[in-house]
Amino acid sequence: MSALLAVRGVSKRFGGLQALSNVTFGVDHREIVGIIGPNGAGKTTLFNVITGVYAPDLGRVELRGMDVTGWAPHRICRLGAARTFQIGKPFAALSVLQTVRIGALNRIDSMAGATARALEVLELVGLAGKRDDLGRHLTVIERKRLELARALATGPALLLLDEVAAGLRPNEIQEMIALVRRIAAGGVSVLIIEHVLEAVMRLSARRGVPGRGLHACLKSRASRWRTATCACSTT
Amino acid sequence: MKGRLAVGVVALGVAAAVPLVAGQHLLTAFIVALHAAYMALAWNVAAGYAGQFSLGHSLFYGIGAYASTMLYLKLGLTPWVGMFAGAALAGVVGVLLALGVYRYNVRGIFFALVTLGAAEVAKGLADNWHWIKGPVGILLTMKAAPAEFFFLRREPYYYVALAMVVAMVAISLVLERSRLGQHFLAVREDEAAAEASGVDTHRAKTVAIGLSAALTAFAGSFYAQFYLYVSPETVLTFEPQLTMMLGTMVGGAGTALGPVLGSVLFSGLGEALRNLPFENTRQVVIGSKLVYAILLIVILIYLPGGLITLGRRRA
Repeated sequence: MSALLAVRGVSKRFGGLQALSNVTFGVDHREIVGIIGPNGAGKTTLFNVITGVYAPDLGRVELRGMDVTGWAPHRICRLGAARTFQIGKPFAALSVLQTVRIGALNRIDSMAGATARALEVLELVGLAGKRDDLGRHLTVIERKRLELARALATGPALLLLDEVAAGLRPNEIQEMIALVRRIAAGGVSVLIIEHVLEAVMRLSARRGVPGRGLHACLKSRASRWRTATCACSTT
Repeated sequence: MKGRLAVGVVALGVAAAVPLVAGQHLLTAFIVALHAAYMALAWNVAAGYAGQFSLGHSLFYGIGAYASTMLYLKLGLTPWVGMFAGAALAGVVGVLLALGVYRYNVRGIFFALVTLGAAEVAKGLADNWHWIKGPVGILLTMKAAPAEFFFLRREPYYYVALAMVVAMVAISLVLERSRLGQHFLAVREDEAAAEASGVDTHRAKTVAIGLSAALTAFAGSFYAQFYLYVSPETVLTFEPQLTMMLGTMVGGAGTALGPVLGSVLFSGLGEALRNLPFENTRQVVIGSKLVYAILLIVILIYLPGGLITLGRRRA
């Protein structure tokens, strides 16, 4: 069985800055993988390459066995990889329900069906009570939950979480960790980028640090998802 | 929901009864208001829902006016059918324009400027195109020919204009409740987040412009049949665009009733100002523009969502 996500030898340069160089790693079905690293290590760039925001200069991205390098983001979302944004991008003038419903319309054609799905997801992330609030009126954690809900509603096989714990208070981080666990328990693989080490440590089976390329892997920890074998290559 | 439906039916009943009580002059004012409301709603599809702030919709208005008129004069095709041909043509032009513009990722203010430029180019072309009589324009003859969209009295025009507005409100409501409409909203709010939600933003924007362009063209055809005169100076200037924007922005962009509200208010205001005790026409024009401008500024500062948000706040 091929990996759900395979990143092979991806490099990306912005002018004089080599953001990613020869990054290779994969995410399997029903796996949580964490990527940690300081600011500027290329974590978000990696996400942007995987989700089609940027095409890599070199290398390939494969999702569910298909070469998706250079695909537009919406096609990658349709194929089953949904991401959240580090800086929450709520649809400012739309309600929470509308926002999540737009995500749900990715897989469901009817408005009624998408609304029902959106309500389920809102229940899961604990935003059901805020369904009629506008995006711009949400607090930081609510925005992060909304981001998660919007991405989850698209029905992904792989969820890419960009710093879902950053900026949250300790008790909120605990809630967020529990939430990601619940989502993963539903059969969704998770690739998580995180500043907050605790979140990654507690969540992921495997962790990589992009640095100059994903060049260091922390010790892998036996987990209930799978015994990790570190697949992060060095430059 | 039921309450709203009842209000809608009552409003429609009142609107349908207007010609019974209004004189010809007042009826004309109502027709102008309804026409403005229709145009505003058509522009609102692209600008209000999908956030594609086109300043070149006069181009599509002009295409509608010229297409139905030329088809009638050269081929004898009734404008009732010709207006659909004009809409199709405007839709194609809109899609081609959108494909070109979005291909190069032109957005926001630059998109507005490019569309404005497109309308200017169209005016320049029309001014120099002898087949459509250049700057002189085309005069239609007044006659009673209902099958060819010509009426001597105001009442039929009024009902056509009313039907167009009702249809356009219905289209807006259906759009709001459709997948396509939700995609428009997502594009308006944030294109990156829309893409990440599985929305083909390029396609959604192209469809929004094409649809809005086609709908706008119907207004142009109506204009030609009502005023019986089409020229670059009347249909391809910034004037129609301004009408669309004023009504939409004042009433509430991205809503199905806001543009109607704003357009009726502004048209009514124009009518009321005409009766002010000014000494000559020039003063009336300057005076009414002043009042327009002041009112617009006040509304945009205190009610950025438009007049429609007044009712929502209370509800």
